Amino acid sequence: MPLSEKDFPVEERSLKNGLQIRLLRDNSLPVCTLYGFFRVGSRNERPGITGISHLFEHMMFNGSKKYGPKEFDRRLEAAGGTSNAYTSHDLTAYYEDFASEALPLVLDLEADRMASLIIDDSSLAREREVVKEERRFRTDNDIDGMMDEALGALTFLAHPYRWPVIGWMSDIEAITRQDCERYFRRYYAPNNCTLVLVGDFEADAAMREIERLYGGIAPGEPLPAVTTGEPPQKGARRAEIRYPSQAPALLAGFRGPSGRDPDSLVLDLIETALSSGEGARLKRALVYEQELCVDSHVYYGWRMDPGLFEISLKLNPGVDPQRAESSLWAELSRLSDEQISERELERAKNLVRNQLLRALATTNGRAHTIGQMEVMLGTWRAMLDLPDRYASITAADVQRVARKTFAPHRRNVVTLVPGEVEA
Amino acid sequence: MTATDVELPPLLIEKAPSGLTLVAIQKRGLPLFHVRLSLPAGACEDPRGKAGLAQFTLDLLRRGTRRRPAHDVDEMIESMGAQLYADVSTEEAALALTVPAELSERAFDALLEVALEPAFEESEVAAARRRAIAGLQSDLDEPSTVAGRAVVSLGYGPGHPYAHPSQGFRRDVETFQREDALSFHATRYQQQGGLLAVVGQATPRELLEQLQRKLAQWESSWPGRSQRSALQFAALPPSQEMRAVVIHKPDATQAQVRIVSPGLPRSTPRYTEAVVSNTALGGGFTSLLVDAIRVDRGLSYSVSTRLHMNRRAGLSVFSSFTKNETLRELVDLALEKMRAYAASGPSEDALEKARRYLAGLFPLGLESHEALAEQVADALLDGLGLDHLRTYRSRVLAVTAAQARTMAAELSPARDGALLTVVGEAAAARRALNGLCPVEVRQLEEFA
Repeated sequence: MPLSEKDFPVEERSLKNGLQIRLLRDNSLPVCTLYGFFRVGSRNERPGITGISHLFEHMMFNGSKKYGPKEFDRRLEAAGGTSNAYTSHDLTAYYEDFASEALPLVLDLEADRMASLIIDDSSLAREREVVKEERRFRTDNDIDGMMDEALGALTFLAHPYRWPVIGWMSDIEAITRQDCERYFRRYYAPNNCTLVLVGDFEADAAMREIERLYGGIAPGEPLPAVTTGEPPQKGARRAEIRYPSQAPALLAGFRGPSGRDPDSLVLDLIETALSSGEGARLKRALVYEQELCVDSHVYYGWRMDPGLFEISLKLNPGVDPQRAESSLWAELSRLSDEQISERELERAKNLVRNQLLRALATTNGRAHTIGQMEVMLGTWRAMLDLPDRYASITAADVQRVARKTFAPHRRNVVTLVPGEVEA
Repeated sequence: MTATDVELPPLLIEKAPSGLTLVAIQKRGLPLFHVRLSLPAGACEDPRGKAGLAQFTLDLLRRGTRRRPAHDVDEMIESMGAQLYADVSTEEAALALTVPAELSERAFDALLEVALEPAFEESEVAAARRRAIAGLQSDLDEPSTVAGRAVVSLGYGPGHPYAHPSQGFRRDVETFQREDALSFHATRYQQQGGLLAVVGQATPRELLEQLQRKLAQWESSWPGRSQRSALQFAALPPSQEMRAVVIHKPDATQAQVRIVSPGLPRSTPRYTEAVVSNTALGGGFTSLLVDAIRVDRGLSYSVSTRLHMNRRAGLSVFSSFTKNETLRELVDLALEKMRAYAASGPSEDALEKARRYLAGLFPLGLESHEALAEQVADALLDGLGLDHLRTYRSRVLAVTAAQARTMAAELSPARDGALLTVVGEAAAARRALNGLCPVEVRQLEEFA
């Protein structure tokens, strides 16, 4: 059953400068969420400035013309709100959750930094150090992070998905103020942004305020397309990391379609069948039956360009990674060789549908889903049809996509082996 | 009720003669149904020498019931599109399911079957023990997890019921037998002290009737009350001097830092004063410590102070991390700022910001089905009552400067006798902390 537009009466508006606005009223609680989605992520970078999208996300909190350094969050928190942001390969999203009476202030804060962000050398120097600490935390001292970085570099030879969103350490150190200024002018223009407002507000009043605050911001030049493609993979690739860990680990990756490709939804169901819940195939086989892993995870997220299907195995101490790898390939072959049962397919569809419903249960979740659909799939309405599109997927679709995706020559494998690198 | 108070959705609460609390909450909107069972079976109930048994027992619940093997249990739950939430906190074990509204009966039955009729098959117990031991060793690869384990183990001191992480210790887990899980389940998974809550689209009366029907149906599998000895809560160990424990993590280029002092129990009448004071010091994104450590100096990505408030005792904990080279700078700065704050309390501006920040965001914590059930359950089980939720905002907004100042002094993580815990490369950490306080180096494996 599709979701009903009656339950999600999203209003679509836009300004002359190209700013896209999506509004959804819900006065059940005295709160709002405002998201700003910018269509820029690490795919828009180049070697030498990798990580600038993420570093820039940090810089957006360091002051603008009307609200100086430290003022953004100080004003917001004093009005009963909180903010955060994230950067992905494809987009950068900023959000505020706040008491509804703070809406005029929140719009003013956001519009001011889009219109007149201040980028100075001292704040860049401090923020660079913060980002380096984040990198040490998430990548250099984190097994999942260091393996994920290695998998990206192994799987993509040419496309910008090759480098990590946080960027290489040497690039983080080298990015200049001028790089940031160019970046801001190019990507933080209103015609590259979708605003999503959900919660307790009055639509016409909110639009008047948005028009007043954002209407005067000049649109930017058309964005340069990301043209670099990825050559076909003609054989399995492997990488090894030595690190003083307690146990080995394995991360396998397969190139997948872009988020807008219909096969992407089939891979969502395959992800669920393999890893969601205790009864998922990998958990049952590798964790419970064969006792090879402490845990298994599969991650497949929609991307603008053909992306990545990842399988992560945290092995039990002392387990031979080759043995775990063989078991993993056997499970993937089973998906390609035998059709998934109707019962198991139904389980996966129910899990995915329930996950979508639960994401829509909060103000922030609704705003995020609307914006993500708009940016990744081209329209927020895609979320209404999603349950039906998942429901129409057949066991034959699953087998076809599994065969195409998990072919042995498409494997990319990173193994973490406990031990030190010899000096 | 003042203008700032929160109006809870329509709900009914009933206490069964057995001591089980039934909660029925109506939430319109999305066609979802949520059921949550909270039981007095948390980590503090672990018998001496059996740290981790509460978690172990909970993990075993879904590995087969008296009616079906483990795989069929998974099928029963996940065919509904649900994933079982199962968590052991210090005080309680909680199980929950969220399903499409039309599956409420099935969800109820699945949850109660798992909670009340586990099989504890010998082979599943042995396999769970192997998994738990492997998991404990694997956790040593995550510095922040090790730091968290060290905070509770060292912060409460030996013999305290809260002084172990819910996963327990390897030395204890290795001894777990089927009888341990059976005995823990028989004595802790009782109705007395438990709470069964539902959140759904039906009226509270209809939901309550459904709860009562289900309770009658499962009554025979569910003991009302059982004999168990009361927990002994000693005062936290007094200490005059700061001391440091460094946990050696080879090759770490970054040090995880925790500074810990005794805190307050959740039942304290000064709860909101404590929360407001802590928010100004190290909550939110514009706290005094975030400003000093992250914004002004770029020393860390993450800085916070948290009040770990359990029912009978709590801890005040400073958390951050930094590269090995700036460990001492971060520790000195954190201590300086926290000590100054303990003496002066928050400025007027900082106090006002903390009050409005907490009051403004509070309704968001009641938004989802899961959060609503959890907040209501916690308020009732902790003995705070629903007024704790309804009047939270007005109470937060009423906290005075004098009250916040008093709490700043009483709850600073950096008080005399504080424990400094560092997870990182030992030689680098020892050099960095030289001259600050006595330093003891411990091996990572001690915290498995």
